[in-house]
Amino acid sequence: MEDYKYLFKVVLIGNAGVGKTCLVRRFTQGLFPPGQGATIGVDFMIKTVQIGDDKVKLQIWDTAGQERFRSITQSYYRSADALVVVYDVTSFESFRCLPDWIKEIEQYASNKAITVLVGNKTDLIEDREVSLDNGTNFASTHEMRFLETSAKEADNVDKLFLDIAEELTKRVQVHEVEDSKDEIAICSQNHTVSATYNCCRW
Amino acid sequence: MPGCCSCVSAFKPRWKRLVDNIFPDDPQDGLIKNNMEKLTFYALSSPEKLDRIGDYLAKKLSRDVSRHKFGYVFISMEALDQLLLACHSQSLNLFVESFLKMVQKLLESNEPELQVSGTSSFVKFANIEEDTASYHRRYDFFVSKFSSMCHSSNAGTNTKIKIRLAGLRGLQGVVRKTVSDDLQVNIWEQQHMDKIIPSLLFNMHNEPSSTTSSQQDQQNIQIDEHPSTVAETCLRDLTCRAAFGNIKSVVNPVLNHLDNHNLWVPSKFAVRCFKIIMYSIQAQYSYVAVHMLLNHLDDNTKNSPQMKQSIVEVLGECVTIAADGSIGPSVLEVFNTLLRHLRLSVDTRVSERSALKASIKKRISHFDEQQQTMFEEAIINTMGTFAAILPDYQKIEIMMFIMGKIPLPTRYEHSDATYPMPSVNGEGDLLLQNMLLKSLFEVGTKYTTVSMSTTFSISFLEPLLAISVAPDPGVRLLVQRIFHTLIDRHDNYHKLNVNNLSKDISELELRVEKCSRQDILFMKRYGAQIYWHMYENMNQSDNRLDNYEALYCTLALLCIEFGGDEILMELVRLTLALQELACKTDGKLSPIHQCVIHAVVSSYLNLISQLTAIPAFCQHIHQVIEERKQHAAYLLPEFIFSDTIVDSSYPTTVHVEDNLLFQQSVISEALHSTGHDVSRLAVPYVHRPSGLEYRQQTELDATSLNLEVESVNSSPGGVRKHPEEQITFESLKRALQSPDNEEDLEEQEKEKRQEILETFKSSTLDEIAAISEHRSQKMQIRLNEILDKLSRPRSRSSTPPRSPQLSLSSLPSPPLKSVPLYEMKFPELLVF
Ligand SMILES: Nc1nc2c(ncn2[C@@H]2O[C@H](COP(=O)(O)OP(=O)(O)O)[C@@H](O)[C@H]2O)c(=O)[nH]1
Ligand SMILES: [Mg+2]
Repeated sequence: MEDYKYLFKVVLIGNAGVGKTCLVRRFTQGLFPPGQGATIGVDFMIKTVQIGDDKVKLQIWDTAGQERFRSITQSYYRSADALVVVYDVTSFESFRCLPDWIKEIEQYASNKAITVLVGNKTDLIEDREVSLDNGTNFASTHEMRFLETSAKEADNVDKLFLDIAEELTKRVQVHEVEDSKDEIAICSQNHTVSATYNCCRW
Repeated sequence: MPGCCSCVSAFKPRWKRLVDNIFPDDPQDGLIKNNMEKLTFYALSSPEKLDRIGDYLAKKLSRDVSRHKFGYVFISMEALDQLLLACHSQSLNLFVESFLKMVQKLLESNEPELQVSGTSSFVKFANIEEDTASYHRRYDFFVSKFSSMCHSSNAGTNTKIKIRLAGLRGLQGVVRKTVSDDLQVNIWEQQHMDKIIPSLLFNMHNEPSSTTSSQQDQQNIQIDEHPSTVAETCLRDLTCRAAFGNIKSVVNPVLNHLDNHNLWVPSKFAVRCFKIIMYSIQAQYSYVAVHMLLNHLDDNTKNSPQMKQSIVEVLGECVTIAADGSIGPSVLEVFNTLLRHLRLSVDTRVSERSALKASIKKRISHFDEQQQTMFEEAIINTMGTFAAILPDYQKIEIMMFIMGKIPLPTRYEHSDATYPMPSVNGEGDLLLQNMLLKSLFEVGTKYTTVSMSTTFSISFLEPLLAISVAPDPGVRLLVQRIFHTLIDRHDNYHKLNVNNLSKDISELELRVEKCSRQDILFMKRYGAQIYWHMYENMNQSDNRLDNYEALYCTLALLCIEFGGDEILMELVRLTLALQELACKTDGKLSPIHQCVIHAVVSSYLNLISQLTAIPAFCQHIHQVIEERKQHAAYLLPEFIFSDTIVDSSYPTTVHVEDNLLFQQSVISEALHSTGHDVSRLAVPYVHRPSGLEYRQQTELDATSLNLEVESVNSSPGGVRKHPEEQITFESLKRALQSPDNEEDLEEQEKEKRQEILETFKSSTLDEIAAISEHRSQKMQIRLNEILDKLSRPRSRSSTPPRSPQLSLSSLPSPPLKSVPLYEMKFPELLVF
């Protein structure tokens, strides 16, 4: 009965105001929301995308950037298949804080999760404070994928999430092939987080 | 759609047709009741079909959600709910799978209505007790999603509250569903609790706002319960189900949340949270929460005093609720932690003060001594609360424990100007003394003395007496207060007032009981020591009025509690000696102090005489008092202790005529005539500055032979002492024999005697001489070690020895409000 084949969890983190919520809205609803308030706690969105022949469902958890929600947001890292760390290219401060976010990931997220660095708000060309090189360098030192986006102009937003979905799907499929070679059922506990979710969705 | 279904219905299995038939043509009409009954009946009679029915309904619903046919979605949900309820006795496992998939589907939708509907179905499911456990079912998504809903920031206030409420109910459902079943997912895992607890607390501290607009909103949607209330209920649900190992899982996220959201100050919310926890936690585990709070206090040592104050206040509340369950196995640990924080706070104050004085820090504004003081008061109160729940014997232990932390004073007979002391240390010790004595007092008020000797063991009484003559009048006052609360067994303290010369003290309704033999023995043993310190106290030239008031009360309580024959004589003897003291013209005491002592003596003798009810005694006292009223009102408490002092009729000198004095001979006669043994009265009390008198009088008990008191008065080096470091005869003895286990001592003694006997029997004289020489060498080495220890300043934190007696002017404003004597108006006297 399922209307999708794989389910992945994506968690967005980064300073408040860098555009996490806008990115999620842009991707899931195709709009750039006018002045909504800061996210409280954790928000949730869902979107099913087509990757090759398969339908892939993305559960997207959009977290509050503020310090005071840190302990609840951290609790969502653990089960994430992908973590998206967002900064604002017009705010050097948001870039400067990235190491803190990386530390959080190291501490709370599964080491199997993929991490993506995103510099958002590229449409604000005049106000740019963080260069493309800054972002690229940071991402490569920390072995992350990297992308610059504009939630406002819908630049690279779909690509961001689709790349994640594709990568995760590929990973599961590789495992599935290995599993069938080994004649072990997919459900046998010890595989990637995503494989486990696929059979036990709750 | 239904029309289309009917044409192919002939080829469909029966259960599929039954399902299709519950849907009306127009979703507005709602579930077709009759057909639903048929479906239910069918499901009950063919339970093996239940799984497929569920699966089919789920698919329909899923499709309807994506097509936005919400009317049909609700109908599917209603049908599922009803089937679930009707068939719950069956094995539901697979059906539940379909059911939960549908709930998830609804929760994933962006439509608030669907989310709310999904949640309420989930809650219905959560309330069903399943017969068979389902090992593989996981609730991660539900915990995550419900927690997220608890934080809804939906633009519409109504919708926001509805979603938050749904989230809370959902969490409550998950908790109920999983918590009792070990086979289910472990809800106590950190990843779950870190979501659930903050979600509950977030809703608890978002109380209904008082703005009119939101009130209207709430009326509009008729919310039966506010999120805050539901959250609270859920927290209770959770806490009361927590087993020992799970308490931490609940309390830690609470502490974190309070930290993260800065909710400690003011303490109101933190107190509320912990009250909920303490009221719902299983009683035998409540100490775990208390200890976690203590640890949290430790973790926040460097934090603001306000925040720490709140933690300590929360602790106090918890203790009140949990009563004797809150201490757990380590009583001393609790007090040790609190005392450590008290000490740290005092240290902070002192170092900030000195920094201020040295004006090293220009930007001192952030330091607020008052907040530090309030933190200390909170600690003291909480210690009192803790003490209140302890059994009496432990209260004594605690008092002794606190006593052991008090830096004891050293008296300086001659202050040595060439030995400058850093005043900070003196100030620090003084503050610490103050705070610890306040703590001791607080604990003392929770304790009720039964037998004096139990309360005042020698190792408690001696340091307490030693500090009773501390250089600081405030400290001395505190010690008297401690004596009051510990001596006063009959609730007489508040009836006592030095300014009372009533001819009929029966109106005070004092409760007097004959004291026990044990108490008399106690006073025989330690009385001399106590009287000596009372006298010494009266003799302090910087006493304030409140010092004298307090001393009067102590004397009065001694008389009331021990007023038996012999002790009465001793007290009268002491009082007459005090009168002597007040008459001395050596200039040590100011005329004002002399007058005050006279006044105290008059008041005290008035009390004693009436307690003895000997007419001749009473009459003499009364007569002298009347005489004074006529000629020397300044010798009476009415004058000295009245609020409005009239500055007339002062003498230029305090020369008191015999007729204004209480006469030993008259009193002695009066007592003798009523059969009292007055021989002691004939021996005048001689006060030796070194306290030798009571040394001589005290029955010399080897174990209590305590070098401490002598050294207090004679060592100008200023050794800072802690009671546990006192060198007693016993400890000397023990130190000389290497093993210091007391139980073994007797055994060893026996052995040794045996050994000696053997040696003497079997050895030649030379051998014995050699052995004994060897032994005396060993002894010499040990002795040197001990003496070495003694002479080294015994400062724990490598602080230099304390400063000499502090002069009154250098003191901070007295901690207890009172008019210091030196400020009182006695113009003519001062001219003298
Ligand atoms: N110009 C521009 N503004 C953006 C973009 N993304 C977000 N914003 C704005 O940045 C602010 C914060 O966005 P939000 O999504 O709430 O940030 P979040 O706190 O990370 O979720 C809002 O005022 C958005 O309108 C973008 O791509 N371009
Ligand atoms: Mg946001």
